Amino acid sequence: MKLARRLRLLIMIAVFVVSVAMVAAQDEAVLVIGHAESTDSLDPARGYTQTTGIVNRAAYETLVTFPDQDASEILPLLATDWTISEDGTEYTFTLRDGVTFASGNSLTADDVVFTIQRLQNVQGNPSFLASNIESVVANEDGTVTFTLAAARPAFLAELTNNAFSITDAATVMENGGTDAADAAETDAAEVYLNSTSAGTGPYMLESWEPQVETVLVKNPNYWGDEPYYDRVIITNIAEAATQKIALEAGDIDLALDLTRDQVATLEGNENLTVYSGPSVYTHFLLMNADPELGGPVSDPTVQLAIRYALDYEGYKALWGGVTPPTNLTVGLVAAYGEDKAFTRDLDRARELLSEAGYADGFDITLSYPDFTWQGVNMNTNAQKIQADLAEVGINVTLNPGELQVSLEEYRNGDQGFAYWFWGPDILDPIDVISFLPGGKVASERANWMPENAPAEINDLIAQASVETDQAARVELFAQLQDYLQESGAFAPFINPAVQAAYRSDLQGFVYHPQWTLDVAILSLGE
Amino acid sequence: MAFHIYFLRRLLFVVPLLFGITIMAFLIANAVPADPVTANLPQNALNDENLVQAFREKWGLDQPLHVQYLTYIGNLLQGDMGRSIKTGRPVIDDIKQFLPATMELATLSIVIGLFLGVGVGIISAVYRNSLIDYVSRIFSLIGVSFPVFVLALIGLAVLYAQLGIVAGPGRLGFRTADPPLVTGFFTVDALLAGDLKTFQEAFSHIILPAFILGSYVAGTIARVTRSSLLEVLGMDYMRTARAKGLGERRVLWHGVRNALIPVVTIIGLSYGNLLAGTVLTESIFAWPGIGRYMFRASTSQDFPAIMGVSMLIAIIYIVVNFVVDMLYFFLDPRIRGEGR
Repeated sequence: MKLARRLRLLIMIAVFVVSVAMVAAQDEAVLVIGHAESTDSLDPARGYTQTTGIVNRAAYETLVTFPDQDASEILPLLATDWTISEDGTEYTFTLRDGVTFASGNSLTADDVVFTIQRLQNVQGNPSFLASNIESVVANEDGTVTFTLAAARPAFLAELTNNAFSITDAATVMENGGTDAADAAETDAAEVYLNSTSAGTGPYMLESWEPQVETVLVKNPNYWGDEPYYDRVIITNIAEAATQKIALEAGDIDLALDLTRDQVATLEGNENLTVYSGPSVYTHFLLMNADPELGGPVSDPTVQLAIRYALDYEGYKALWGGVTPPTNLTVGLVAAYGEDKAFTRDLDRARELLSEAGYADGFDITLSYPDFTWQGVNMNTNAQKIQADLAEVGINVTLNPGELQVSLEEYRNGDQGFAYWFWGPDILDPIDVISFLPGGKVASERANWMPENAPAEINDLIAQASVETDQAARVELFAQLQDYLQESGAFAPFINPAVQAAYRSDLQGFVYHPQWTLDVAILSLGE
Repeated sequence: MAFHIYFLRRLLFVVPLLFGITIMAFLIANAVPADPVTANLPQNALNDENLVQAFREKWGLDQPLHVQYLTYIGNLLQGDMGRSIKTGRPVIDDIKQFLPATMELATLSIVIGLFLGVGVGIISAVYRNSLIDYVSRIFSLIGVSFPVFVLALIGLAVLYAQLGIVAGPGRLGFRTADPPLVTGFFTVDALLAGDLKTFQEAFSHIILPAFILGSYVAGTIARVTRSSLLEVLGMDYMRTARAKGLGERRVLWHGVRNALIPVVTIIGLSYGNLLAGTVLTESIFAWPGIGRYMFRASTSQDFPAIMGVSMLIAIIYIVVNFVVDMLYFFLDPRIRGEGR
């Protein structure tokens, strides 16, 4: 009897404690995001993945930024104002007043200097972004001056990258961080920054359990508007089908990595809102300019014929998104819009082929990775390329490879005719230089060298690399895009759409080309 | 033969086996014509020789292969498995985190598989060629041949999303805190903490993947149990037992014990497979286990993690086989030398 009474009392206490805990938990606004986590590090100087971008966008801030929805202009963030020297090599930033880090320390010019020097010296994955900066100095008036090795029109766009997240120097140093020249060996702050953040952003990192979940909580010392959600949980669900099921069941509020066919089945569900918009990834064919490797596709006339032969509408029907006119990502400043894209013209393609001496077509092998990227199955596209080109007599043999193996061949420039995709590292037209003679993809991977191009084109490329005047840039990049369309060694064919879905009362969702998602602008409607 | 001699003899085989596995794993991981540098550095960083060099130095990739191997073995002997490139943590910490999730799932799966498989196998054998035998044989065939990931997705779509009978992906609800860490098995830890609600939640999450994996294993176990028992039931000593006037139940028990010897081998192997090879199930159920970790490691050329998991899997198989060998000792009188 006694035992039974005691047991009953115990159960009552337990029920009470649990219900109090549940009430407390319910009061908190929690957002759960299902996402295929890619994090390699959350230390801004070391991480360079999509998930790092989402987390650090919330926990840190950069000097300048893009608008919430796109990359159309540069806006102030931690810097309120900046001046650029006449020759384009010196940038001086005025810092915002009254900004504190999550620790309570005030933001100073020294924090900016520490952040940049540490980024350069730890030699982490994103350090290449700062390789152009010759020095960064804190001035007596509280401003910061960056001196670049050479004029760099994309510099401000680069500064929006979360690698340039301004970190709390005192806190990072207390936890083993250093910006010294030997930081690659001596900086030990990564462990700390993988478990806590040291930024000025609206959120703080509460925990990161690699490949399981990342938890963000509000930063009580945030200088700006308070975000809606108290807690944001990014849970790792690698499988898109599982993300969809968990969203339908209501266990997650937002599924970030869905595929097109999954989204189609959600269209009629009034509890969910579907998002579909172009990604910054361009899928393209590479046609090696070295005749030994490329064979017939090394001929610029054949390259143009192939651009006319592809069924662009067909790829859009498969994946959504936009047809890219060139490898300059649609939507960036100075980039051609979809209206300038190729449309399929089989007669023109056949005409060009016979002009090049291939009236009867030819045989060629297409190398590509057997891989699915953001829901786009490259095998499916390769089969469609094969079918498209068969119509003009080009007989394609498919050669899929394991991703890392194929990537190695591609990066070594060993593939004659290949299918790859590309996402810009910098959301600036300068990114397309990689696809022009002398650029990385063109010269190292497609063997398309400056000597293959006319002198005036090489001059244009040189000018476009340093020109900072906006109107002049638009003009220069227009000429380069015309040249790529006429004579380029590439055939870009689809910027597939990214697919996401979320509960219908979630407001503020934007898929951003730089940081993917800004959780601080999300809220729940009435 | 005395048990301790048998035990020690088996144990002696383990050392060279482990050593051989380190060499094999190291060579295979290095034979892949892909470079960890290209797999882990961003495209533009590859242009910067300093960054590439710093990466190679940091991970010891600038050393010749045999030096890399000897360094690895040297560290391994001191209990250091290196640091994962992808998670930035010591591999041993990663394994400590991910292994219990897999073990919990594999253990429940093998228990389900064992009961279903042995039960169905015995019934099938006893009622050979009856309707019940045909039905159970069809079920075990489906269990063996149906792709696990299809079963997993159907299970999730129907039992979780549609009917809401079981919980969905993950080990717990995404909003629920983990129980205090003791064993790493969430169901056990929740019970130890006296937290019935969390236990219920953990159980509701694990039951579907465990049942799917269990039914897969059950198919194999049932087929082996059936054929093994049929063989035993036809033996002379069974007829003798009946002739001695033993009841049918006693006779059956007599047979089952002997029929279990090959079944024990299958169970051991299946348990090893479950611990090492549930990549698809773990991916679909967002189960943070060793299979998913291994998959990430291999697709990003994360050498320390690949080596660590290879060693772990090897050790799992060795331990499982060792235990099976030990069980033989008790199950099979011929090993004990009693038959002489």
